Amino acid sequence: MLGLPLAFSAPLVLAALLALPALYYVLRLTPPRPREVSFPPLRLILDLQAQEETPARTPWWLLALRLLLAAFIILAMAGPIWNPPSASLNARGPLLVLMDDAWPSAPNWAERVNAAGERIVAANRDGRPAALLAMSEGAREIAAQDSARVTERLRTLKPQPHVADRMLTLPAIEKFLSAHRDAEIVWIADGLKSGKAEEFSGALARLATDRPVHLVRADRLPIAISATENAAGALETNLVRAQTQGAASGLVRAYDKKGLAMGQAAFDFGSALETKALFDLPIELRNDIARVEIEGEHSAGAVSLLDERWKRRRVGIAAGSTADVAQPLLSPLYYLRRALQPFADVREVQAARGDPILSLLEDRLSVLVLADIGVITGKTRDEVMRFVNDGGVLLRFAGSRLAGATDDLVPVRLRRGGRVLGGALSWDQPKQLASFPAESPFAGLLIPQEVTITRQVLAEPDANLPARTWAQLADGTPLVTAEKRGKGLIVLVHVTADTTWSNLPLSGLFVDMLRRTVALSGDTLAGGADAQAAQRVETLSPQRTLNGFGTLGAPPLNARPIPVQFTGSPTAEHPPGFYGPPDAQVAVNTLQAGEKIEVASYANGFVTEPLMLAAPVDLRASLIALALALFLIDAFASLWLAGGFDRLRWRKISRGAAAVLFVSLAALAFSGERVKAQGKPGDAALTTRLAYIVTGDAQADEASRLGLASLSRALAARTALTPGEPQGVDLARDELSFYPLIYWPIVATRPQPSAEAVTLLSNFMKQGGTVIFDTRDALTARPSGPPSPEQQWLRTMLAGVDVPELEPIPRSHVVTKTFYLLENFVGRTTVGQTWIEALPPEGADQANRPARAGDSVSPVIITSNDWAGAWAADQNGTPLYPLVPGGNRQRELALRAGINIVIYTLTGNYKADQVHVRDLLERLGH
Amino acid sequence: MAQVELLDRDAAEREALHPLGALDLARRLPGLIVSAKEVAATVMHGMHGRRRAGTGETFWQFRPFTFGEASARIDWRRSARDDRLYVREREWEAAHTVWIWADRSPSMAYVSDLAMQPKIDRALVLALALADCLVRGGERVGIPGLTRAFAARDIVERLAERMAEETTRPDFVPAELPPADALAPRTQAVIISDFLSDPEEIATTIRSMASRGARGHLVMITDPVEETFPFSGHTEFRDVDSPARLRVGEAQSFRSAYMQRLSEHREHLRDAARARGWTFALHRTDRPASEALLALRMQLEAGQGG
Repeated sequence: MLGLPLAFSAPLVLAALLALPALYYVLRLTPPRPREVSFPPLRLILDLQAQEETPARTPWWLLALRLLLAAFIILAMAGPIWNPPSASLNARGPLLVLMDDAWPSAPNWAERVNAAGERIVAANRDGRPAALLAMSEGAREIAAQDSARVTERLRTLKPQPHVADRMLTLPAIEKFLSAHRDAEIVWIADGLKSGKAEEFSGALARLATDRPVHLVRADRLPIAISATENAAGALETNLVRAQTQGAASGLVRAYDKKGLAMGQAAFDFGSALETKALFDLPIELRNDIARVEIEGEHSAGAVSLLDERWKRRRVGIAAGSTADVAQPLLSPLYYLRRALQPFADVREVQAARGDPILSLLEDRLSVLVLADIGVITGKTRDEVMRFVNDGGVLLRFAGSRLAGATDDLVPVRLRRGGRVLGGALSWDQPKQLASFPAESPFAGLLIPQEVTITRQVLAEPDANLPARTWAQLADGTPLVTAEKRGKGLIVLVHVTADTTWSNLPLSGLFVDMLRRTVALSGDTLAGGADAQAAQRVETLSPQRTLNGFGTLGAPPLNARPIPVQFTGSPTAEHPPGFYGPPDAQVAVNTLQAGEKIEVASYANGFVTEPLMLAAPVDLRASLIALALALFLIDAFASLWLAGGFDRLRWRKISRGAAAVLFVSLAALAFSGERVKAQGKPGDAALTTRLAYIVTGDAQADEASRLGLASLSRALAARTALTPGEPQGVDLARDELSFYPLIYWPIVATRPQPSAEAVTLLSNFMKQGGTVIFDTRDALTARPSGPPSPEQQWLRTMLAGVDVPELEPIPRSHVVTKTFYLLENFVGRTTVGQTWIEALPPEGADQANRPARAGDSVSPVIITSNDWAGAWAADQNGTPLYPLVPGGNRQRELALRAGINIVIYTLTGNYKADQVHVRDLLERLGH
Repeated sequence: MAQVELLDRDAAEREALHPLGALDLARRLPGLIVSAKEVAATVMHGMHGRRRAGTGETFWQFRPFTFGEASARIDWRRSARDDRLYVREREWEAAHTVWIWADRSPSMAYVSDLAMQPKIDRALVLALALADCLVRGGERVGIPGLTRAFAARDIVERLAERMAEETTRPDFVPAELPPADALAPRTQAVIISDFLSDPEEIATTIRSMASRGARGHLVMITDPVEETFPFSGHTEFRDVDSPARLRVGEAQSFRSAYMQRLSEHREHLRDAARARGWTFALHRTDRPASEALLALRMQLEAGQGG
């Protein structure tokens, strides 16, 4: 209305505004009440007639006030609504909803589903069928259905981790549009160019001809990780975004293979489209990072997976010749250093440190590179041997020293002297490299034509030589040989690391070969040979893949193995994730390294609509409140005009004020638990009682109170503990140390507690208190989906709390045996998981202990089963909330779980020792 | 514009205050002694001598025995000193009776911000203070229609008590005028009221009270607001005794008419008092109470004829 997002549910009432002028005349003629005066001698003048009577008129401002008051009431009756729900579009045909479902739509997937659902339901109101097509579905047949079916299908849609080609859907759309001439098209787009969005929009505009196309797009475009690089100083994460508007800063978190947080780094785009986040961690920790993700950005694009290729090895290099500082280009160390530095930490021999190789080995190397060192003897040889046997990679380069004399630390037997190709005394031309054998780790590397070998050392032609050859010359003489020794590997390059024997060190191939070789030095336990074996496999099967929300999980059914040298963007068949055996996983990332995301510019003629429509606001309540305020003002003004204020004596005013104060205090006491919560701190110390956090959500608080009261009754009836009435506590104001157990139902809509309150909570937990966080979302949270609002809320709050490592309650945990023998901890629901502080790893002697406990009571128990709801019962024991799936047995089990937990918090690991009491008594008896 | 207030009938609270206020006032004045001329014919026993022989306790004079008197009256001890017979005479001691009546009708419970205290407070303080002065001077005091005339050291408390007790009666309606019973000759009446009832009615009451020769004093208590009529603007006046209301557009235009009516009313009262030899005095509540008490004492002591 009038360009404002305002609508009236009963616009006819507005006609009453026409009556305002009449009201104006009536009000104008009605003067305010006169001043009233008691006057005892009145009867003396009672018979006098007024000599002059000037009729008092209502003052104009009072008149205006009253007219305004009347207008407000009329407006309120007309039912005004701010941001009315989108008026049904003037289309009659079916509604076609096109959903972008690639990873860029994942961060606001819920809003997208809502937007689509609203439009489908609105179409249904007009009696129009709807059709839904997700962009990843390709050439699926589109059929218009009723809204229930379409909505059901809409709920099953999930964002895909890959970007599908939208053009594939065009035939189906064309067919649908030709069948339904008057169809209306709504495209819920992700706003990015990827997946041929621009071509698609052009084609769609052509197909639609004069039909309106509503383009629904979010204001906020996603942020993605384009590449992650384990650079020299830190792990660098490249972040990209499509537009310069929106949130520019945030956090990137790194996790290891098991999902434990390794660190976090802040990023800030400023006004750029690209930025970097640096994880400044020690190299050992950096090598453990398997996953990097942008916090709060739940999409596959915001996750970067790291495999062995990202691990940064520590490589020690040593050369036989003394380094000539004045002429670095003559030193093999120079070439090695330059080639290795981009992907590994290079250690060099410090001059004044005794035996160079021994001192290098002290640095816990992954790879030891020896350039032209002929013979290693004595203690040094033993150490190198041990290094290789423990899984290290020894990479040796030939040279004049090696050609002269060698030891047993080479993969093949060598002939003395070597051979010279293309020299003055040789007929041969310098040789080129042959293509790498398929089983070689170098397989797939491009061989530049200009690389020539002029001199090399030769291997004796033993039977096992071909198996040990990784690279050979065009004439078949081996150039690189390798042998597995112990858990490690010895690799020999039959040329020097400098340019005297070949120009290999000048080529990019040299770097690639070094990279592959260094990458073989997997973790020292697994051994390089397995990795080697894995490398020989041609395809890698998917192990764990990302879904559209960026969560790792089991691969979908249509996922296929990738070829070993897989490059390129992921597809539906090759979703991003980890492929291959657990020891040698290969990561496929959503975005290619260096890939950018760009804003799509859509075809003209689309009607653009925002994704998030502002929620409609019913203005009635505020208008009536306003009218009431005006009414109060009017009342006071009338009183003032009649001189009523003067008649109020102070004593009366103070009495009135006292009354008002009393009433408001009473209202405060009635309305808030705040006043009620913990009257005197001393009282709380006298009895053991359960406590719950007053969240401010009346329903949750009532459920907590009743639930704990019911649990307290059960405890008093069945155990030696007779707790007092449960106490509601306010983190910010109440002393917590009196309570052994605090129950905290998470209400996601409540504001976060203050930092001080969280500190108090943290202290409470450190001092031995136990807090049960009940997210109560077992039915709504999806294990693979984004965290539910309650989980998000809890995570945000616990960010400042020192929470120990948690695990689902194991069967042997003492809490399952403190009073009842329990298998699981159910509440109103049974499907939720209950987490408790992880127990220390089982010792050898504890293997068959029936109950285990840590040193102290777990400070945190997190459940999602809504325990209080299951406990809650009225005074007669009648349950108050329905259970899922239900039944008295479940309620009883919930109570037993509560009893076990209370006893656990009060007795700690006592019960764990108690299971041995018979044995102890027997021993004492002897 | 003056602010006025009608007090609620919180009688117990008020009357508990009055004895103290009244005592305070009374102690500042010497005992009030009504002139002896008044007492000639009364036979009641009093505390102070009338400077003539009569019934009493204290010796007055010896006089020669006259023949025909009862021999029992001869004072033998004096007669023995010479050969004549003497009779011992005692000084005649008698008390004067003053009836004090204070108006407690609703119109008295009225105070404006110009006044020092409500009219009813002032009337009661005056009445009780006067009673105390009189009793200390040896007179007897009573409230017509409520108590007999008596003298007691705690006269203030006892009168206040009786008044308070009267107000607690369920059928108690505060009268605007004292009961119109004829008072005994040579007694005096003090009527403290705002006299806002019909002047004819007041004249009738005075007439009947004074029908046997009692004398009296009217003290008219008035609030400054009633004197000056400081109202203006659109005002609704409300009577306190009756439900009558008067709404006027311009209150200030009524002032002159009101002042004229008021002075006429007072003239009527003054005439009615003068006709029976009574006095009439005006007392405003913005003046100190002692002023009125002093005036009353002068009036009473002056005795004015007999």
